[in-house]
This record gives sequence, C-alpha cells and structure tokens, in this order.
Amino acid sequence: MGVLNAPARRARGLAGRALRLASLVAAVAVGCFALMAGSPVDPVEAYVGADSAAVGPEQRAQIAERWGLDDPPVERFTAWAGNVLTGDLGTSQVFGQPVTTVIGERFAASVSLMALAWLISGVLGFTLGLLAGALRGRVADRVLTWWAYTLASAPTFWVGLLLLYVFSVSLQWTPVCCAAPIGTLPGEASLLDQLHHLLLPALTLSVVGISPVLLHTRQATIEVLASDHVAFARAQGERLPGLVLHRVARNAAGPALMLQFASVGELFGGSVLAEQVFTYPGLGEATTTAALRQDVPLLLGIALFTAVLVFVGNALGDLAHRAAAPRTREAVA
Amino acid sequence: MRRTTTRARLATLLTVVSACALAGCGAGGTTSAGDGPPSELRLAIGGESEEGFDPTLGWGRYGAPLFQSTLLTREPDLGVGLDLATAYEVSDDGLTWTVDLRRDASFTDGEPVTARDVAYTFNTAAEQGGLTDVTALERAVVVDDDTVELRLTEPRSTFVNRLISLGIVPEHAHDSGYAQDPVGSGPFALVDWQQGQQLVVERNEDYYGEKPAFERLVFVFTDEDASLAAARAGQVDVAAAPSTLATQEIAGMRVQAVTSLDNRGIAFPTVPEEGRRSPAGHPVGNDVTADLAVRRAVNLAVDREALVEGVLEGFGSPATGPVDGAPWHEPGSSIDDDDVDAATAELERAGWTDSDGDGVREKDGTTASFSLLYPADDSLRQGLALNVVDMVARAGIEIRPEGLGWDEIYQRMHTDAVLFGWGSHDPTEMYNLYHSSMAGTESFNPGYYANPAVDRHLDAAMAATDPDEADRHWRAAQLDDDGTGFTAGADAAWAWLVNLEHTYFVDDCLDLGPERIEPHGHGWPLTAGISRWRWEC
Repeated sequence: MGVLNAPARRARGLAGRALRLASLVAAVAVGCFALMAGSPVDPVEAYVGADSAAVGPEQRAQIAERWGLDDPPVERFTAWAGNVLTGDLGTSQVFGQPVTTVIGERFAASVSLMALAWLISGVLGFTLGLLAGALRGRVADRVLTWWAYTLASAPTFWVGLLLLYVFSVSLQWTPVCCAAPIGTLPGEASLLDQLHHLLLPALTLSVVGISPVLLHTRQATIEVLASDHVAFARAQGERLPGLVLHRVARNAAGPALMLQFASVGELFGGSVLAEQVFTYPGLGEATTTAALRQDVPLLLGIALFTAVLVFVGNALGDLAHRAAAPRTREAVA
Repeated sequence: MRRTTTRARLATLLTVVSACALAGCGAGGTTSAGDGPPSELRLAIGGESEEGFDPTLGWGRYGAPLFQSTLLTREPDLGVGLDLATAYEVSDDGLTWTVDLRRDASFTDGEPVTARDVAYTFNTAAEQGGLTDVTALERAVVVDDDTVELRLTEPRSTFVNRLISLGIVPEHAHDSGYAQDPVGSGPFALVDWQQGQQLVVERNEDYYGEKPAFERLVFVFTDEDASLAAARAGQVDVAAAPSTLATQEIAGMRVQAVTSLDNRGIAFPTVPEEGRRSPAGHPVGNDVTADLAVRRAVNLAVDREALVEGVLEGFGSPATGPVDGAPWHEPGSSIDDDDVDAATAELERAGWTDSDGDGVREKDGTTASFSLLYPADDSLRQGLALNVVDMVARAGIEIRPEGLGWDEIYQRMHTDAVLFGWGSHDPTEMYNLYHSSMAGTESFNPGYYANPAVDRHLDAAMAATDPDEADRHWRAAQLDDDGTGFTAGADAAWAWLVNLEHTYFVDDCLDLGPERIEPHGHGWPLTAGISRWRWEC
C-alpha cells in the first residue's frame, strides 16, 4: 500500500475512466440511434413542413436520397459510426453544415452562458447555504429555505418569461433577446454589451442550480457546526463569522463542489429552455431545432457531445470533492 | 410620428444608459437620432431558413428571396409580372417554355446574369433534394446569351410558379459555401447572418429594379413571446403575432391584418369501409362520411361567421373552398351556411333519422357519428373543432373531437375526418388535394375522393398553356356548369371552414405598400413586397 504504487494506481484509474467513457459513448450512440430510428416522425415530412402540398412524391424521394434515408437502419448506423471514428460526425440536415461546425459554433455561444450561470448558482448557492446553516432556525434561514424550495419547483422557461417581462419589457433595463444588440455585426459588440445580453439568460439558467447547492450546503454546515472540533473551537472563544469561515466553509465545500460539477447535465437541459426564451443562439436552441425537425446526425452529435461533457463534469466533481475534503481521499483509495 | 418614436427610443436609451451605469454595462447605440426615414428597419417576423440561402434547395419559395432575383414575379393580386424575364412563351404542346432575359442585370460580384446561369439554376434545382419541386423539368437549355428554353417532361401550367419562386444563382459562384454566403442579383446583399439570432442585409446599390427605401434590414429570429416583447420595448418596427394576441395594443404601432390563402377545413373520408388499405398500410374508409348527405349537412350546419368571430377574433373570413381570393377561385361555389333546416332536410332525404331519440341520427343501424382529428398542440384548430361539434349537433350529427400528434393523424387520416390547413400560391395544391391519382400519397387527398369529371378538369388545368385557360379549368373543378365539383354545393369532399388573416404589429410610420394575399405560413411571406415599403413620417 501507499507511496510506491501511486503512479501505477493512478494510471490504472485513468485507464478505467477512459474505458468507462468509451462504453458510455457507445451506449449513448446506440440508444439514441435506436430511439430516432424507431420514432414515428418522418424526417422528410418534418423537413417539408408547411410546404407539404408544393413538394410532390418525386421530390420527396430526392430528399430521402440526399440524406441516405433509403438504406436500412443498421447499415446507416454502421456507416455513421465508422465515420465518427474518423472524426466525421456527418452533415446536419437542418443547417446544411458539418455537425462538428454547428456544435462548435453553438457551444462557443453557450459556454459563456453556462459558465456564468454555473458560477452564479455555485457562489450564490454556497454562500447562502452557509448563511442558512449558520443561522439555522432563524428567520433568515427560513426565508432562504423557502426561497430554495420555490426556485426548485419553478420551471426555467416560466422564470425566464417572468424576468423578461419585468426587466426587459417593463423596466427596459435588459435587452429582450439575442447575444448582442439587434443589428450589430460580430466584433462590433463590446464585452460589456455581451455581458449585458448574457445577464438575464444566465440568471434564469442559474435558477436550476441554486437550490440543490444551497440546501446541501446548509445541511453540511449544520453537521459541521455540530461536530466536536467546532465545539472545541467554540470553547476556545471563536465566534460565528470566523467559525463559519475557518472551520466550516472548507468542509461544507465538498458536497457543494461535487453537486456543482455533477449539475453540468442539468445545466445543459436548462439551457435548452433558457436559450429558447431569450433567442440566445447556443447549443440548447440548436438541440430544440434538431429534435423538432428529426435532424438525426445533429441530434446524435449533440447527444455524444453532452455525454462527454457530463462525464467530464462528474469526473471533475470527484476530483474537486477529494481535494476539498481530504478524508474522502483515503476512503476512496 | 417618427420623431416621437425616435424621442421615445432616446428616452429608452437614456434609461438603459443610466440603468447600465449602475449595473456597469455599456448599451450599444440603437437608433440614429434625426429627421427623415430611418436607414435601418428591424423586423421580427420569424422565417429563418436554417439551411441558408440557396434557392436550388428551396430558399425564397415564399416571400422575397432578397439576395436573388427571379424570372417572373407575383403581383399583389396574384397575377404574374416580369422580372429577369422580358417575355416568355409556352409552346402549343405545353412542353417548351422559352424565356427572354434582360441584359442589364448583374450579380453583386459584378458578373452579368446570363442564360447560362438561368439554365444552370433550373438544372441544379431539378436534381437537388431540396424544398423546391422542379421534377417536371427535363432539361433547361441555353439558346443564346439572353434566351433559355425550359423543356418539361409533361405539360404543366403550374410550372410558372417555379419561374416566380426560383431565384437565379451564379454558375461561377455556386459552391458548397453558397448557402451561407449567397451572391445574387436581387435588391439586397447579405451582410451578416448569425444563425438562430439575426440576419442583416443591405441594399444592393447596383440593383437593376426599383431600389428599396431602406439601406439596411435586420431580421431578428425571436419566437412569438420575445417578438412581442421586442415590439413593446420599441426595438423592432414589425412583429408577427398570432391573431389571439393581436387584440392587445402597443404604443406607436398598429395591427395590420393581411388577407391570406391560409385556410382551415375538414377533410372527410369519402369512401366506405371495405377493408382497403393505403400504400403505407393504413386502413381506408368511413361509412358515415362516405354518405354525401352527411358531408353536405356538416357544410350546411356550420356557422363560419361565428367561427371567424369566436375563434379567430375576427381576423379572417368564412371559407368556401381551398383557394378563396385567388384568380382561380370559383365564387359560385359558396353556399349559405348556418342553415340547420337545410342540413336536416338533406339528412332526412337520405334516410338518416333519430329513431331512438338520443339526438343523434341513424341509418340502417349506423349512427351518424365520426371522429374529427386535430393536432393537439394547435389551439386554433382545437377551437375550430370544438365549435364545429356543437354546430353540427344541432342537425343530429355527432362529431367526436380528438387532439393527437401528427404521426398518429397520418395513420388515421383515411378513416377519420381531419382538420387540415392549406393555402398556396400554386394551384398544384388543389390538384394534389382532389385528384383521384393522389389518393393515399403523403397527406394529399386523404379522403380518397374520386370524381372522373373533376379529374378531367384538373388534368386540363395542368395541361393548359395559357394562364387564363388554366384558371377556367381550375374553377370548373370546384364547380362546373353541370353542377359537378368538389365544393360544398356538389360533392362536398371537404368542409372548408375559415380563411385566416395574418396579423402583424407594424410601426405607425411604416407603409407596407399594396396588400398581398399571403400563402399558408405567417411571417416571412410579408417580405414579398418589401421593395415597396415606405416610411411615411
């Protein structure tokens, strides 16, 4: 046990994780493809949409041929999977561009939104959780807990519409839509402009993450405050603000961090709704479009991408938890 | 009025700036202050073409193609006008269309528009699996620099719609990136397109035709709620809104209701249940709606005016057929509705009586009852369906409304009545809905309607080489001199209910020019007359 074996153990751990990631991605790919192949929605019909009567049977056959829909599903899947191994995710039917390009461009827009929302929910959730835990049972704690439960049960799109109405329409403090002022060209919008447009969507999206972090941190804080070493510190005369900062914060950070990283998947789900409300051209909006229009290549690409993203999020959560709460290091090892 | 708007916007700007000073952000300059028309117009009317702006894949099939120009144009009254073409002629056999081109048109990269580009565009579109159906074309051939021959596989009068809607692309610049960065000879050129967000275009100063009044247009691709919010916040000049929301008021804007061919009606299965199946394997036939008397009675009993007032908030008109208001519409096919007595008489004559006194008629052991399917997520169709149920109950017919998904509706559309919506500038749609050969093909002629006389009129309309002659045949298919046709007074294959008006919030200062009848699809078709929009303040 111990020091000598550490590098080997780490390598084995890494290989294990890689293997798990690969099997996860394969399972997601097969599952998603099976779902889409079994879906009763006809992709050609979804593409034709309102032009139904102007597009005749011959033209529909041409469309199916362009997309390779004539081949049996298994053949389509193996061809697609083979291409994926070479890094080619195919061409999006809706956007007419390579799937990697679409995901790349959209994710670039989403990442700032998700990062900001993630930060807001993490910082806010953790601080307020500490506060609620420290003031357990007092009015502030009750208000915060009540607020957390309300947020947890509020649908994202509804919160988004509410914020939009209050801040953009009535008060006109924030823009109604988009990632930059209407009519500005890329590069013209300043960083402040972009932040201004990011604010409301990020606030909406952060709603998803605040409550779990707040409630868990509150619980952890209460537990730590009841522990022996805090009692010892109290006995030495340390009082509440210092007590929380020095003795509690680090110990309570473990669960908060793990939750925060594990929430990447929920964050992505929330971004689908938040981006829709604010016309924010990110990955979430592309996902809605791809799903409604039966864009199989794009939807599969997004599924794979998010699977990897969530996996990485969880792995980072593990690491962060261990770093923050050293005791678990031994327990896991 | 413009001045007040500008002032209002300046005030807005000030509040934003002061709010931003607190919040620590910089508001972008939105409007240039000053008199006269603004140089930039902002529109939130949806209609983003995610696939890009390649006409050979279907871009520009309705509304304005903006970047490209077409051979012909559609006039506000749906007549045909000239654009790139200076004249066109159809051969007597209807197979060859010869088009003469103007010589002063050039693409935005400076190259002239030639017959080769036109032939290339048509040949490419015919082979592409996109949203423009040019499968009738056998080959487009260059005759000389300014003449093209379009050779068809069979006579087709409706091919004129491809000359109207297919934007001409430059052969030398039509590569894989074209859809994202189009080059054309239209009134506008693309400046920037941020997918899912906005499209910025500017006036093509070298355009050969009438130049638009606005230097720059910004199309914002917000959904309904955000579009309305943007209109309220004074950030857009035009916003499309569903008729249910068009009753509210927005300062500085008026509601403009535009007539459309966009309609809603009930398709009836017209054949009895005999164990038949469609090519896709779905059952066919309904013993109740196969009875002409039932179909006519439904047509007579519904109160279309009440539907317009109650469901459409007044933004619409009663429908007589699928093409009301088009030059090929037969006005004589309209009937007097809300006539329960006539409906009752029709049913009595055919032997439908209410012998057990439950309010629903029977005939030979069959109850006058059938399902009416509508897409569950469409509140407008739901409203129509539920109202129709009560209206026909007065005549002793029971309709069972069912909200379903489209996939399920497609499986059941040959056995149950369906609330469909259609409406196209192209009468091919009428052919597809009523010709017996289209029964069971996609969602065309879902009720398996077949009448040899109607087929003959539809075929003759397709084969006509002259637009007026084609229109005469289209009208005869609806109701001919012998009283035969697919409309309510004759075979009553459908019960058409209402035509919609598309509603827009438009800045009080903006004049949208002569009104154009829009096709199915609310939003982008408004751009069809965009070159003639003017600022009136």
